[in-house]
Amino acid sequence: MANRILLSGNEAIAEGALEAGAHFAAAYPGTPSTEILETLSRRGGIRAEWAPNEKVAYETAYGASLGGARALVAMKHVVVNVAADPLFSSSYAGVNGGLVLVSADDPAMHSSQNEQDNRQLARAAKIPVIEPSDSQEAKDFTRIAFEISERFDTPVMLRVTTRICHSMSPVAVTRGTTWPMARIPDYSRNFHKHVLLPANARPRHDFVESRMVELEEYAASNRDLNRIEWGDRTVGVVTGGVAYQYLREVLPGASVLKLGMPWPLPRALVRELAAGVDELYVVEELDPFIETEVRALGVQVLGKEIFPLTGELNPDVVARGFELSGNGTATEPGDVRQKNAAPAAIPPRPPVLCAGCGHRGVFFTLSKMGLIVTGDIGCYTLGALHPLESMDACLCMGASIGMAHGMEAALRAAGDERRVVGVIGDSTFMHSGITGLINTVYNGGSSTVLVLDNGTTAMTGHQDHPGTGVTATGERGQQVDIEAVCRAVGVRRVRDVDPYDIAALEAALNEELDTPEPSVIICRAACRLVDRTPIAPSVRLEIECPGCGTCFELGCPAIDDRDGVAVIDAAACCGCGLCVQVCPFCGLRIEGHEPAGVP
Amino acid sequence: MSGTRDLNRGLERDGARVRNLVLAGVGGHGVLALSRVIAEGALAAGFDVRKSEIHGMSQRGGSVLSEVRYGSSVNSPLIPDGAADLLISLELLEALRHLHRLKTDGILLVNEQRITPAPAGSGPVLYPEDVLDRILDPFPEARILPAHDMATELGESRAANMVMLGAFAACTEDIPIHGWEEVIESAFRSDLVPVNLAAFRAGLSLASAW
Ligand SMILES: Cc1ncc(C[n+]2csc(CCOP(=O)(O)OP(=O)(O)O)c2C)c(N)n1
Repeated sequence: MANRILLSGNEAIAEGALEAGAHFAAAYPGTPSTEILETLSRRGGIRAEWAPNEKVAYETAYGASLGGARALVAMKHVVVNVAADPLFSSSYAGVNGGLVLVSADDPAMHSSQNEQDNRQLARAAKIPVIEPSDSQEAKDFTRIAFEISERFDTPVMLRVTTRICHSMSPVAVTRGTTWPMARIPDYSRNFHKHVLLPANARPRHDFVESRMVELEEYAASNRDLNRIEWGDRTVGVVTGGVAYQYLREVLPGASVLKLGMPWPLPRALVRELAAGVDELYVVEELDPFIETEVRALGVQVLGKEIFPLTGELNPDVVARGFELSGNGTATEPGDVRQKNAAPAAIPPRPPVLCAGCGHRGVFFTLSKMGLIVTGDIGCYTLGALHPLESMDACLCMGASIGMAHGMEAALRAAGDERRVVGVIGDSTFMHSGITGLINTVYNGGSSTVLVLDNGTTAMTGHQDHPGTGVTATGERGQQVDIEAVCRAVGVRRVRDVDPYDIAALEAALNEELDTPEPSVIICRAACRLVDRTPIAPSVRLEIECPGCGTCFELGCPAIDDRDGVAVIDAAACCGCGLCVQVCPFCGLRIEGHEPAGVP
Repeated sequence: MSGTRDLNRGLERDGARVRNLVLAGVGGHGVLALSRVIAEGALAAGFDVRKSEIHGMSQRGGSVLSEVRYGSSVNSPLIPDGAADLLISLELLEALRHLHRLKTDGILLVNEQRITPAPAGSGPVLYPEDVLDRILDPFPEARILPAHDMATELGESRAANMVMLGAFAACTEDIPIHGWEEVIESAFRSDLVPVNLAAFRAGLSLASAW
């Protein structure tokens, strides 16, 4: 019996994959896509794996497809770049079992380093794009995506955005049923299709081009995906994804071409809509992807002249766009007086490293030593912010180690003696730090790399990774040891340093930075959100705080700055003792511990 | 109950009206659990529902915002500015931050807790002294509740969100009281259900006396 339950877009995609009989799923965590694999591993009935990175995730899913399973691979938008190499070529080689790549784009960059529009990547890779506009469609379209993949022998991109991934809406689901594994032809060798030697790839490219033509015919005829909803004939709008919902909110009566499959664009439907309305608009988030194609048809259309190229749309923004166009029919909901009462002078509330976080002492030390720091992506990126402010660059996952090597080479060539250190998290090290380290060793570099090992992928919500040795389904697997990896690739100087001991860390850094060979310092401290047991009794103030402010430079949320005087929040403090070490008056104490007092 | 805090107008079960709720607070303080319970309550009462949130940094003390919409049929998961019927904030400054989301005659329920934000620039953050005035000036009917203290008294400060839910439940007949209680019973781990129910009832009886 079907039930209507509330599901997020991510949960609905997982549900759709199960209903489609998918048998294999792989991912590396990344907001806003993470919950897809988490849901699958919780629900069971499918083999769900965390891969160390997205390229490997894609390749394993592709292998599973060849091997005869429907396979799903999920990732955030920027990391389709990491998987782009196998993606582009698998477009030529085609699939066996259906292969669906979920690309979770992040307009407005709620938690991302750029705002790329992955419909562009799908176009470049010549694969179709499916785009749901709510959770029900997320489930249904996932199923359709698998069918398209098999029917047209192509990987399919299911493109979602943060507002789809993390919004909940009712979905009809049938629980208590186990869905049969999809029946896929047994694997058989197909040299001309699957071995992309140039001689094989050339005819496959011809195949890809004719596949695009067939896919466009399909896109124009599948009414579940693409349909014209005729209404008022003065305004016609081409739209899809969550933008469709905003449009329906502000122009409920308009004629709309709703695109659940925007690529390849069903040009016949665009022409049909254009011919039936007075004025044509395209409402889409980010790039003028659909709009450019519509213009190429020679059809007059309004799009990015009135709707923004950057950030998210919402009902207000869409209504304002129609106002700009002079089309007064858009109903802008909400009180105008309130809309204009934008809040002034309200202190922002940024995220912070938790009280007792092992990353804090590291960045305090780096800042104190005035080192150049090439950073990486994770909770520790917060070390770039006030008051630690000790990061020079942060680009993409794994970049810290390569950047440190390159920067050091350039500085030395210029006779600049400033010292550089790379900082990378444990999960990021497994993701793409190791190849950077090999490069440093091989090319005779001498960088020092700090691996901040908090035993989890913290930033994205605490997923396991090869370094923890626990699999996506919670089983104990083989742990990959960071220190052993460093030694195996040729780093001779690898050592553990307690990140809660500022003096020890400073001494270790000085020593390693002054040694002309590559070195790795591993700082181990369990993430405070995973292990909440106090490290020591909470810190007490022994003397009347004279208000020197040194401890505020730690940016610890358990230390409140009350008119320049430190007040410890005993409930939040977990006794990491960093403030005890930095207090020049030895006024901060931990029960049973002698004050260290760094002068 | 005075008419101004009464939500029971305008939402006809078969009409086109949509109820718009904005829920705000600080990471780790139960905004997302609150919005989940409200969305489930609305679904169980037969409404179409949309719930949206940005939760990337929710565990690390940043601002957290969730939006819930319900009615006979809902499209957008996002609420236009100035269109919220109700704003619930689990913290005073966060209420101020999102005040412009509320309709001029919207209902405002605020937990009176103050949590100083982490400094983002140089110098300590000055928690605006006049935060209450800035809330009450445009919204003199706003209700400032000691939800955190009430929940702490019940033995679980994290249940402040359910005190706020109780206060909201008193403002509307959209969802029956037993409907809320059923959702609470299924939403929390069994050992946490009694305290959350108690918190809900405490908020309900406080608001019913207004
Ligand atoms: C290529 C890529 N994949 C995934 C992400 C999403 N992401 C951002 S931070 C992070 C986790 C980093 O974990 P770790 O290095 O262990 O640091 P922690 O957050 O635990 O301090 C992930 C997966 C990304 N930004 N880029």
